[in-house]
Amino acid sequence: MDYSNLRRQAASMKKGLFDQGHLDEQFRQVEDLQDEASPNFVEEVAVLFFKDSGRLISNLEQALEKYPRDFNRWDAYMQQLKGSCSSIGASRMKSECMSFKDNCGKGNVEGCMGCLQKLKREHAILRQKLESYFQLLRQAGPTGAATRPVM
Amino acid sequence: MTTSTVQGSPVKALIVEDTPVHALILSTILRKFHCEITVAENGNEAVQLFLEGKKFDIIFCDKEMPVMSGPEAIEKIRALGESHVKIVGVSAGYDLEQSFMSAGADIFLPKPMKFDVVGPIIQEVMNKKNNSMV
Repeated sequence: MDYSNLRRQAASMKKGLFDQGHLDEQFRQVEDLQDEASPNFVEEVAVLFFKDSGRLISNLEQALEKYPRDFNRWDAYMQQLKGSCSSIGASRMKSECMSFKDNCGKGNVEGCMGCLQKLKREHAILRQKLESYFQLLRQAGPTGAATRPVM
Repeated sequence: MTTSTVQGSPVKALIVEDTPVHALILSTILRKFHCEITVAENGNEAVQLFLEGKKFDIIFCDKEMPVMSGPEAIEKIRALGESHVKIVGVSAGYDLEQSFMSAGADIFLPKPMKFDVVGPIIQEVMNKKNNSMV
């Protein structure tokens, strides 16, 4: 197998994630923490992020239904999700979080709903792209495929 | 500063953070500086640790958490007489610094945290700890 070609593909894929605005500098900071002692650290963080953000989105959806027009509550939920997005550098998702919070501040229910839908789309896109990226990295590694964590 | 320059007995760090990703990243940073790490998921858990007699050299504390916020926990910890422990308030809003400092925090760091600011803080805590043991 041409590992150098796979690594080039992975590098290109990662560049695309940054160029398209899905990831920001914070992702590189997370990458800098990866070392021989924690060779899959970035992927572990990503898995944890998608698990946690999925939960937070679900909580928010329930809150939107259970507590109509409770913008303070909605904002508090979104603040948590925004923080999580910031920690991994999920830039587009973070932008939608901020738009949602802006709409909370304006008391705009439709705006909030629209932002949430966009946020869910960005969540799904980023998850799919990062899954592909990490799969490629695993293939490109010197030891070949590793156990695939569930995102 | 590199992790290899950190010497002496390990710094005991308490992370008070309800966001798992933040807690994992900060734990990883602190492990690189050979810290002993405990994680509390909210301010109340953090206060309980001190009530149980646990001691820490440094606390990294988020602001908004369920059950008890960071500043409230910091106030209670200081009220227990824990004046020596270095407390770092960590939050995404720059305008939240005052609430941490008023509660008794020593430093405020904005999120997302820049990793290279942590090392000097840990080194300072370690120097103080080792000097107090002489």
